[in-house]
Amino acid sequence: MQAKKTDLVQGTLDLLVLKTVAQGPIHGYGIAQRILVTSREMLQVQQGSLYPALHRLERKGLIQAEWRESGNGPMAKYYSLTEAGQTRLRDEMEQWRRYSSAIELVLES
Amino acid sequence: MRFPWTREESDLDREIQHHLHHLTAEFARQGHSQEEARRLAHRAFGHSDLVKEQCRDESRWAWLSGLRQDATFGLRIMRKSPVVTTAAILSLALGIGANTAIVSLMDAVLWRDLPVPEPRQLVLVNWWAPEYPREVAGGGRGSARREDGGMLADFFSFPSFEKMRDGLTGRASLTAYTIPQQASISYDGRPNVAQVRAVAGNFFSTLGTSPRLGRLLHDNDEAAGGPVSIVVSHRFWTRTLGGREEAIGRPLAINGQTCVVGGVLDPSFFGLLPGDNTEIYVAMAPGMRILDPGNDSLTNARFWGFSLLARLASGETAEQVRPVMQAIFVSSWSARMTYAAKEPRIRLEDGSSGLGSLRREFRNPLLVLGGLVGLLLVIACVNIANLLLARATARRREFAMRISLGCSRMRLIRQLLTESTLLALAGGASSVVVAYITAGMLGEFIAERGALPVTVTLDIRLLAVAGITTGAALLLFGLFPAWRGTRLGAASWLKEGPGSIGHAARRKWNAGRLLLLAQVAMSVVLVMTAIVFTRNLKSIETTDPGFDRRNLVMFGIRPGTSGYTGEQLPPFYQTLERRLAEVAGVSHVGLAGTKPMDLGGWWMQSGLAGETEDHQSFINGVTPTYLQIYTPRMVAGRNISMLDIANDAKVAVISEDLARQFGGGGLLGRTLEFRDGPNRTLSGQRIIVGIAPAIAVSSLKERPFTVWVPLDSKSSHATVVLRTTRPPAQVLPAIHEAVARMDRGLPLVEVITMEEQIAKILQRERMFATLCGGFGILALLLTVVGLYGVMAYNMSRRSQEIGVRLALGALPNDVLVMVLREGLLLAAAGMATGVPLVWLGAKYVEKELYEMKPLEPLSFALTLGVLLAASLFAAGLPALRASRLQPLQTLRQE
Repeated sequence: MQAKKTDLVQGTLDLLVLKTVAQGPIHGYGIAQRILVTSREMLQVQQGSLYPALHRLERKGLIQAEWRESGNGPMAKYYSLTEAGQTRLRDEMEQWRRYSSAIELVLES
Repeated sequence: MRFPWTREESDLDREIQHHLHHLTAEFARQGHSQEEARRLAHRAFGHSDLVKEQCRDESRWAWLSGLRQDATFGLRIMRKSPVVTTAAILSLALGIGANTAIVSLMDAVLWRDLPVPEPRQLVLVNWWAPEYPREVAGGGRGSARREDGGMLADFFSFPSFEKMRDGLTGRASLTAYTIPQQASISYDGRPNVAQVRAVAGNFFSTLGTSPRLGRLLHDNDEAAGGPVSIVVSHRFWTRTLGGREEAIGRPLAINGQTCVVGGVLDPSFFGLLPGDNTEIYVAMAPGMRILDPGNDSLTNARFWGFSLLARLASGETAEQVRPVMQAIFVSSWSARMTYAAKEPRIRLEDGSSGLGSLRREFRNPLLVLGGLVGLLLVIACVNIANLLLARATARRREFAMRISLGCSRMRLIRQLLTESTLLALAGGASSVVVAYITAGMLGEFIAERGALPVTVTLDIRLLAVAGITTGAALLLFGLFPAWRGTRLGAASWLKEGPGSIGHAARRKWNAGRLLLLAQVAMSVVLVMTAIVFTRNLKSIETTDPGFDRRNLVMFGIRPGTSGYTGEQLPPFYQTLERRLAEVAGVSHVGLAGTKPMDLGGWWMQSGLAGETEDHQSFINGVTPTYLQIYTPRMVAGRNISMLDIANDAKVAVISEDLARQFGGGGLLGRTLEFRDGPNRTLSGQRIIVGIAPAIAVSSLKERPFTVWVPLDSKSSHATVVLRTTRPPAQVLPAIHEAVARMDRGLPLVEVITMEEQIAKILQRERMFATLCGGFGILALLLTVVGLYGVMAYNMSRRSQEIGVRLALGALPNDVLVMVLREGLLLAAAGMATGVPLVWLGAKYVEKELYEMKPLEPLSFALTLGVLLAASLFAAGLPALRASRLQPLQTLRQE
């Protein structure tokens, strides 16, 4: 059985998106690509979940969007983190680390 | 125009396009052709509509665009069934509109505060005594009513008022007013009549009213010398004074005495009670000089003719002030009373909404009307609920389809609620129109006929309350069908469908039928009320007054207020009668002290001297020809004669029915006594000289015992009654001319024919009958619509079943009878439920009826007959249509 792309653990998509957006304004396609690349192609975000997630985060005021010229091609919608988003990202990361180390402890016992 | 949600929509599109663009580029880089790359990109992205749909659900405007969809869809549904929609909107509009109009009327009469600052501080001052306090009070003028086994009266002597006013300084401001009197006025050289009320100088300052123009009265106006300043109502100013500002400072003569228009009241000040018709206010001292000349009414402690109103200082309560007033009141009497128990005692009453007489009189009738119109609204709501329910059931297949395609039940319910909200909005908007028209008509109806002299204005706040209540009710009623209509196993409905045989028959008493039953039951109440009050009016109108009411005309004449005094009056009346008799077209002329058929009048207990038996009788002073107007002959004895009048002879003619009470024969020459009050104090004696036929004298509703006495020819006013040989309208110009030839400055007060006068005193009954009739017709209409709707809808559901029946050999007649029986059974069940409701409500209307029980068999029969006919009609159409179904067609339909 070869290594296959892993499905996202429930509830982690928001965290990944926030983290990716935190590195600077980026559009939807870029987010998907960056997650894929930084996870060494382990995590593939489905477009079907990405865009609703982006819209949800935007409605909650965690990220903001603006239309900009992209390098090539049509105008793109660039997302960036709001202040509330930064706070949330810190909290979520904190939580995730505690969670994963707890899981690790159990698995290694 | 770009709304936030449409912008979001196009943004979403562009965002997805952008993503696809990158994906395509990516695939192209991997070496696919441009065509292939685009195809792969689309495949990798997945179903873009699904993504969009999910994004929309996350959107801030999701609910709004959903609402827009619901509304668009709702509007389409409404357009698709115009009958249901129109019926529902009409029901709502009529229900809310009628309610708002009636509640506006109730508000004007029952609840509205006086338009003055801090009305809660106002108290009305009354006294209560077990009987009229003769020892301290001579004459009285004001209103009194029976209460707690004694009398409650609102009149005081002026000296009592002055002492109480001074004694209460600092604790309350006390003011006095009199009953308005009709007086002859002259402005700009034109004679007219007006209602004049004399009030204490502090009247307006106590009330806290402000003028529209000029100034109101103050204490200085009581002082003698200088021109007499008067204040006029806004209505009088616009109607009689031409509504010009120059009217201020101009002369206006009251009873020949020159006064000056000092100020105009604000239009919001309607007077001391709803429907107060006072047009001119004048200060007490000059006022009594003009209205009541030659009397010492302001200094006589035995003349009780002034009503009191107080404004309590802040911090004072009625309970604290009352004992102080009582002590001063007792000390102000001309004598001490022998029995302390019989002393009048002060009672204070809330005065925030002015005098209470109109409220007391119309409270019950208005509450009955309010109840009826409320019932009408309930019927309207039930009707709508029923229509919505029927429609929801008819759309079950659509719902089942949507649910099986993944639509949530909440979403369906929301859709249905949106539809009922749309209906509520449309109904609410049209109800504003209906309410506006109805309130206007009601106000005009009331103002024109004088049934209830108030101005009814549509109160927007009331309309809002009615609208919100109904909107809430409608949502509730809409929720029920929505909840029911969507509660279904989708599969079973798709499978079974509406055409399955026996489906409708399986559930005999579904919610729609129960609602309809309730509706019919409530209609029974409304239709019955309409019939009872219409019959009531007819029965009063057709009562025989004992004389021919056609070709009779009358008017008031007030020589005493137009410069004629004492000795000039008898010859004046004599000449007037003679001149009028000479007018072509006049067959009889007579004068009377009290206007006939005008309710009220002069009433006394009358009995034979030496016998204790006595009867309440209507007394009227008349000329010899007066009785001949009504009836050509005497029963026995002689008529009043001119000599009796000239000599002020103490004689009397009694009515035949009174004579019968006294034993019939041998009455001529005996002495008749007038007695007064609970102690039967003797207040006059008369020799009986004749017996006249009994006729109706004060109203059609009663035929009181009557005593005719010679006219008081020195009275300041009299009523002239004429019998004409042609319709009165043709003779009136000549009558006006004849009076003008005697004295150009003498107004004819309120010229009116007997038929108009009778109609006028029946206004209240007519208003009631008209309104109840209107409600009844509306209820009937709504019920017909409801029944028709439910039956027609049931038939459409059962068309297959009926088709099968017909195909298997049932005759069209059998189908007709079957459907009719179903509809009529439903109506009959409703009627049976309604009858106990009528029985429960009967006691509330009993007081408003004349010689009629609320529950007469004939009224019942008529009610049930009308409803039965209506149901036959409502069920007949669908039944007829069902019986004419073509079996083959219906079977092929599904």
